[in-house]
Amino acid sequence: MSNVIQASQLTLAYDNGAKEIIKDANFTIKKGEFVFITGPSGSGKSTLLKALYGQLTPTAGSLVVGGNDLAHIRRKKLQELRTHMGIIFQDYKLVNEWTVSKNVVLPLMIAGYSSEIQDTQARRLLKHVKLSEHGDKYPLELSGGEQQRVGVARALSKNPVVILADEPTGNLDDYSSNVIWDLMENACQQLDTTVLVVTHKIPTIFSLPYRHFIIESKGVYEVH
Amino acid sequence: MKFIKNHLMFILPLMAILLGVEFYLVFDRTTDSYEKTLTEGYTMLVVSKKPVKLVTFQKLNKHIISSKQIERSNIISEVAKGVSKSSSKEILAVLPYFYNLSLDSYLKTSELGEIKKDLEVDKNIKRVETFGSSYNSSYRLFAFIKFTLKIFIIFMAVVSLFLIIKQMEIWKYAHKERMQVMEIFGAPLMLRSGVLFRVAFVDAIFATIFVSGIFFYIKFYWAAQSGIDIISDNQEALFQIGDIGILFGSAIFIVIVAVYTVVFSNKGAQE
Ligand SMILES: Nc1ncnc2c1ncn2[C@@H]1O[C@H](COP(=O)(O)OP(=O)(O)O)[C@@H](O)[C@H]1O
Ligand SMILES: [Mg+2]
Repeated sequence: MSNVIQASQLTLAYDNGAKEIIKDANFTIKKGEFVFITGPSGSGKSTLLKALYGQLTPTAGSLVVGGNDLAHIRRKKLQELRTHMGIIFQDYKLVNEWTVSKNVVLPLMIAGYSSEIQDTQARRLLKHVKLSEHGDKYPLELSGGEQQRVGVARALSKNPVVILADEPTGNLDDYSSNVIWDLMENACQQLDTTVLVVTHKIPTIFSLPYRHFIIESKGVYEVH
Repeated sequence: MKFIKNHLMFILPLMAILLGVEFYLVFDRTTDSYEKTLTEGYTMLVVSKKPVKLVTFQKLNKHIISSKQIERSNIISEVAKGVSKSSSKEILAVLPYFYNLSLDSYLKTSELGEIKKDLEVDKNIKRVETFGSSYNSSYRLFAFIKFTLKIFIIFMAVVSLFLIIKQMEIWKYAHKERMQVMEIFGAPLMLRSGVLFRVAFVDAIFATIFVSGIFFYIKFYWAAQSGIDIISDNQEALFQIGDIGILFGSAIFIVIVAVYTVVFSNKGAQE
């Protein structure tokens, strides 16, 4: 199995290197693995995810994602790489002036798919996340759990190589959270998608085997 | 309501700049022809002992484009009223030759002085009158008006540009979230800023139409009955079809600069 993500001596910092968050981290994640990342608040979980989708450039070391070292990636190449990622946020980050359907197929729109394909895919994806009735609504007309299902549908819409989720259930009740976990397990199992999830609480009902990393004192450690 | 206000806040300063551009064009054109009439209307008086040919004048100074001898018989008839034929012949014999010289362009008083010096080198030329002071005062006024207007136009353009940037910052705020989300999912710059470009292009079109409309009105309705000579004489120069292209080009240029300012200051913004 190929490595989807490989970090070696990875150092992440803010303020031009002055504020170090993660130092000399080493880890490897293979295709199709499900990974939970936990750690105290402020330890750098979101920072690591930002680095993984190229929003923060490593200060030192390397971070290879899908064959590209994000420490030296070109803008165009990064844009290309991002189209193979499904990113999910705690605050959903939906475009509120767009309909739910349009939000869901944003990655397809960026990839330049025809509007017919976008329409069909929007219907398929909304059915998948059980929001078929809501395609023409706007995000703010939905509950938090429903909005996050839109977020998940958007992340899945272009069959991403990797899904990166930052506390996807952080704002949701237990019922809604379980729906989201189900969808992510499903993606990992059915589509062999690599999934990295930052969470403060690993779900108790989780049927897939998974790996667990903890971020603490600038280090990234695997829990066995 | 907010929608309209947002657009007006962009269209109005854009219009102010376009008005400035058009005023500048119109002013340049009308003043060109005004300068021409000033030049055409101007002549220098030369008094000479012997007849002088145009080429001789031109050899002395190359600014001279034509010379016109004042009819001596006319002068005699004025000077020698009631004098006998024979004595008027005597007067004619001693009477010098008078010439009106026209110049090729609008010159400063100092340059007129140089022409005068050049002409006086010729021993036949007894006297050169440049009428420098009256010429100079109308030129000065003209130059002053021209200068003031240009300063005003530049000032207006600068203020307007600030207003446009201010409005752009509001847009930037309004579109920031969407542009960030699109960027995270790998949208290229053109796709991310597509909406801004569309909105701004539409506003550029409106601003161009409004400004063209104002000048059309000035040209076809106001100019004719304004009673201001320089305006009604130059009605053709007031607004020309080609100006629409220049205005639209300027508007698009400003819009592109403004949108890129917003797009690039959005870039690298951490969430
Ligand atoms: N843009 C930023 N500039 C400077 N410091 C930041 C920035 N974002 C986060 N930090 C700091 O980095 C540390 C880790 O933040 P974060 O990765 O968000 O933690 P968490 O593990 O809670 O997700 C915190 O101390 C936070 O204040
Ligand atoms: Mg966080």
